Amino acid sequence: MGDEFSLDLFDDVPEAPEDEAVSPEPPVEEPRVWSVSQVNRAVRSLLEQSVDALWVGGEVTNWTRARSGHCYFTLKDDAAQVRCVMWRREAEALPTDPEEGMKVRVFAQITLYEARGDVQLRVDKVEAEGAEGLWRLAFEKLRGRLEAEGLLDPARKRPLPRYPACVGVVTSPTGAAIRDILSVLGRRAPWVRILVRGCRVQGEGAAREIAEALDALAETGTPDVIIVGRGGGSIEDLWAFNEEEVARAVVRCPVPVVSAVGHEVDVTISDLVADLRAPTPSAAAEAVVPDASVVLGQLRELPPRLARALRGTVERRRLALADGLDRLGRGMHRRMDPVRQALDRNVAGTERAVRLLLERRRHTLGALSGRLHAMSPLSTLERGYSVVEDPEGRVLRRVGDFSPGMEVVLRVSDGNVGARVTGPREERR
Amino acid sequence: MTKAKKEPEAGGEDRTLEGRLRRLEAILGRLESDEASLEDALQLFQEGVGHVREAEALLARTERTVEELLANGLVEPFAGDED
Repeated sequence: MGDEFSLDLFDDVPEAPEDEAVSPEPPVEEPRVWSVSQVNRAVRSLLEQSVDALWVGGEVTNWTRARSGHCYFTLKDDAAQVRCVMWRREAEALPTDPEEGMKVRVFAQITLYEARGDVQLRVDKVEAEGAEGLWRLAFEKLRGRLEAEGLLDPARKRPLPRYPACVGVVTSPTGAAIRDILSVLGRRAPWVRILVRGCRVQGEGAAREIAEALDALAETGTPDVIIVGRGGGSIEDLWAFNEEEVARAVVRCPVPVVSAVGHEVDVTISDLVADLRAPTPSAAAEAVVPDASVVLGQLRELPPRLARALRGTVERRRLALADGLDRLGRGMHRRMDPVRQALDRNVAGTERAVRLLLERRRHTLGALSGRLHAMSPLSTLERGYSVVEDPEGRVLRRVGDFSPGMEVVLRVSDGNVGARVTGPREERR
Repeated sequence: MTKAKKEPEAGGEDRTLEGRLRRLEAILGRLESDEASLEDALQLFQEGVGHVREAEALLARTERTVEELLANGLVEPFAGDED
């Protein structure tokens, strides 16, 4: 098998057999020899040209994503297996890699891996467990990761401001969601300022745009709460809201975030990490602002309540004052009563003492008057003595006091008697 | 009279609806719990009535403000809501 021979004859694979068939040079009886490469190339092109791309079902095994981004795996069933390749371009559209043993169907072109001569499927799409299987899987994987970080903890949810002055909105500036949101906000809370940051909400790079829009709104420091969302669509349309970039942006947003993606039944990762999940964009708008008429109603109740409170304050002061006076009075009484009692007691005592004293005095007086009586000259007179006085009332005590013919007065016990001195009588008996 | 002028301002510096309603709650809380002196109570009452009036005026507004934050950081009236 000479090299030059082979080069000459087999360089152009597809043409080779035909050339041979019509060749007008039959004399040499040499057999045709094909190179392996020629064979494989021929088989490959035969396969690719004669068989259209088709869906193939089986179990995924040995999935590997190479540095280059290309993915390689084997698809098998109970009896057979086939090698598969998914180029980076297609592989990047996958929400996540399928798991080992996962039942999938692939949309693929049957081809030949020329270098090995293996039949191979060149895969364009991989779907698992129905059309949404891989999306579900990706969703659950990210959910599991965020949950492990505690980012789904209900305790992390911040309460929404009750009366926001400014509402931020991250959504497509041309979608149905923004119309619904603006209409509800305008009807319920026309005083609220609305700050919209438009972005694409589906397709390549949408997740990044949503995340950047959230960051940009937050950075202005203006909104008190932010609505992020979009209207309904297929799971692929909503997918951006299931990506980690959006989840992280929601988590780091300094003000509460309300997530409203698709319809009631659609739950996205963005919904799970948000402070509130609203079933629809309209519902999100209703959740972030109070209804003007309700607030107005509450407001109208306030002036009477204020007045009542003020009256109450005054009334309580008045009562407190009255009570104070009352207690003061009672206090005074309490303090005075013992004094008065003591006083009363003292007065009675004093009276008794005075009476006693008086009695004692009277007694003493009686005794004294008895004694006085005994000492009185009158009592001496009663015993028969008399006192002689001269007309001037001088008591005459001695003989010498008398002279014959002298008028005297004799005092006796019951009166006076006039008498005349007849002469002295020297001798006493 | 500087003090009388200062007091309502200290409470009313947040002129948003939220700020006013929060202040109103605080005022009612103080008035109803009887923490305030008579003089303060009167002043709180007057301040409260002022907030109610201002909040009512705010709520009576019918024209909403919709703006768009552009990529360059500028804010413009929102044009996407043509309908």
